Amino acid sequence: MTTLQRRVIQAGMLALIALALASEFSVTFHLPESVSWQLVGPAERPWYSPLVDILPGAAFILAGLIELRPRTRVGLLMLGVGVGLLLGGEGLTLMLARALPPQIVLGAVVIASSVWPVVLLHLLLAFPRGALASRLDRFVVRFFYVALPLVSLLALAIMVVEPTFGIHSQLLFGVATGAALAVELAFLLIGAGLVIRRWLLGGRARRRSMSPLVLAMVPYVAVILLSLGGIVQYQIWRIPATYLEGLLMASPLALVAVPVGVWIGLLRSGLDMSSVGDLVVQLSGGLVPEKLQPALAQALHDPSLQVAYWLPAQGWFADLEGSRLELPTSDSERASTVLGDPAGPVAALIYDSSLRHEGQLAETAAAAVRMALENARLQVQLRAQLEEVRQSRARLVEAADSERQRVERNLHDGAQQQLVTLLLSMQATKAEALRRSDRATARLIDANMAELKQALDELRELAHGIHPTILTQAGLLPAIRSLTDRCPIPVEVKGELGDDRMAPPLEAALYFVVAESVTNAVKHSKGRRMSISLDRRAGWAAVEVSDDGVGGADLSHGSGLRGLTDRIAAVGGRLEVKTAPGEGTVVHAEVPCE
Amino acid sequence: MRVIVADDSVLFREGLARVLEGAGFEVVGQASNPDELDRLVAEEKASLVILDIRMPPTQTDEGLIAAKKIRRQHPEMGVLLLSQYVESHHAMELLGQSPDRVGYLLKDRFADLDEFIDAVRRVGNGGSAVDPRVVSQLLGRKRSRDLIEDLTDRERSVLALMAEGRSNEAIASGLNISPKTLEAHIGTIYSKLGLEPAVADHRRVLAVLNYLRSS
Repeated sequence: MTTLQRRVIQAGMLALIALALASEFSVTFHLPESVSWQLVGPAERPWYSPLVDILPGAAFILAGLIELRPRTRVGLLMLGVGVGLLLGGEGLTLMLARALPPQIVLGAVVIASSVWPVVLLHLLLAFPRGALASRLDRFVVRFFYVALPLVSLLALAIMVVEPTFGIHSQLLFGVATGAALAVELAFLLIGAGLVIRRWLLGGRARRRSMSPLVLAMVPYVAVILLSLGGIVQYQIWRIPATYLEGLLMASPLALVAVPVGVWIGLLRSGLDMSSVGDLVVQLSGGLVPEKLQPALAQALHDPSLQVAYWLPAQGWFADLEGSRLELPTSDSERASTVLGDPAGPVAALIYDSSLRHEGQLAETAAAAVRMALENARLQVQLRAQLEEVRQSRARLVEAADSERQRVERNLHDGAQQQLVTLLLSMQATKAEALRRSDRATARLIDANMAELKQALDELRELAHGIHPTILTQAGLLPAIRSLTDRCPIPVEVKGELGDDRMAPPLEAALYFVVAESVTNAVKHSKGRRMSISLDRRAGWAAVEVSDDGVGGADLSHGSGLRGLTDRIAAVGGRLEVKTAPGEGTVVHAEVPCE
Repeated sequence: MRVIVADDSVLFREGLARVLEGAGFEVVGQASNPDELDRLVAEEKASLVILDIRMPPTQTDEGLIAAKKIRRQHPEMGVLLLSQYVESHHAMELLGQSPDRVGYLLKDRFADLDEFIDAVRRVGNGGSAVDPRVVSQLLGRKRSRDLIEDLTDRERSVLALMAEGRSNEAIASGLNISPKTLEAHIGTIYSKLGLEPAVADHRRVLAVLNYLRSS
């Protein structure tokens, strides 16, 4: 609907109200002699007639004009009801009858007064979004749009042509009004049923906005029921017709509550929409991805709402941490709305299925935060990739560690064992030589054994450096003590690591930090003493190696410290080196652990 | 003396058995894993078990666990643990509360057969044997307040031999000094290090090792 169209509608509607007012005025105060009263109603009009004629219709029209918005039909429906009510009014009818043939005016009045109840039902069923949701609703509304005016027109036609039919007309008229009554009754019952069904099936958010409208219908329904009761009483007990006439005349007045109900209902659902507005305001203030989900949850009144981000590389949705999320199936307790192009979604909202009918609200909210969602999705993607990289680094380190362990074991079970066994057999050979009193050979064997022992010593140091068995056998603290036992600089070991062992990759990472730091300190620091502090608490284990040497360690060039940083990072920890010249070197490493 | 040998390498077991038998020991059984060892220990009235620290299934410290179990269940049986690496941590764990009938040696001690046989005999006869490498490592450890530095070279050699679990007699003859001179040395060492006057002969090994490890 363009602005121009809206302006035209507004002007037209206001003109209609003015016309209606003017006609009521002229009917009440300047009753022209020429107008035929027989056409409509009694000659005596109650004092409140103009009020009844104008007020409900004008209220609907004014409310409709206020709610006349591009994307919702609520305003138009309100206008429809209002125009119908106004056209059914006496004053306007009389006024129009001056200019137009009475048959046409009468037909218009009949159509108007039989159509507006259907428009009202349409409004009730389409509220607050303005579109009919179910096929049943659409069918029923369309049916009565046609059926109700049709039977009323039929009854009117028979009434108008009655005199020419003579004797048969009585029966025909009876049948026609009977049919009209039946259709009206069916309309009332089915309409009420559909509205109640819609209210019952609706989610929390829909009931919130629908209930003011449903409540506002109560006075009118009450008047209708009273009128029906009145008709029955009139037929059976012959109660005074004035009561019934008054009731029927005043009944449109009860409708005035409806525009108020619509207004409150729209205000309520508008609050939801305006909370989307708040969301946009929050976004403009820079919404971090972590706050996106709570903000959306608040805007959509669903604390359980989850934002699932699409990861194109993986082909699945993930939460902010990068863990996979499955979208709910259609029959589950959860519902979802996928945002963006179906071929390349940005994200999806997963929410309570009672919000399912509020898909439009979800989409509106998501559209509002689309940029932020895209941004967050990129972050999630990045985090997922980082996590992958971290895991692959951890795998590399673990593979390297287990390879070291394997090499050490091979040396131990292979070369070392063979050399030791060789020592034993050389002893036997020596014993044999001595038995034969071959002292020269025995001496030769002794010399060989001394060399063999030298080789064994070197091999042992090599294997120990590759992977110290005490680390796997006895744990980090004994391994560190074994290290300090061999250290040529006094080392003080402080603190505890607890009795239970850590995971092997963590122990290895911390051990090699200590080993490398101690080696560096011995080689380069010129320090006179070192200390190793151990600490383990609440999910963290830390080691710190400090010396009182010259500091200023070179961190960039081929230093083992670089490899240590990688090693510690691979297990999710961090390494910090303080090595100001003249202030010694402090290497601090901490890793997350159970 | 009846000896059981346990190691997962058959070549090593055979070699060791041959050396031991050459020195007059009687090898009554060979085991390649802890279960076989358990059976042999229960069946054979052996006075000594020589075993490797690494044994199946995990090749880590099954030997140490088996050794501690034998010490607990058969206090009358000597246990000599061999290893490619010696760690004071393991030595102290094996010694536990008592240094009786226990030894912890580097595998390549066979290079000096007499030394090795002497250690085996010591453990078999109720004494103890701690590998000189463990002792020298502990002695060589640098300390912040180092009382060891106050010892003379001779006193240090005496301390090392005491830590290895040798008797006064052995130390005196090894260093070529009289028992009286040795006792004077030991007295000086104790007072210099602030140790309690020694318990009988070989039992002091624990006190000395603990001192070396802790200070």
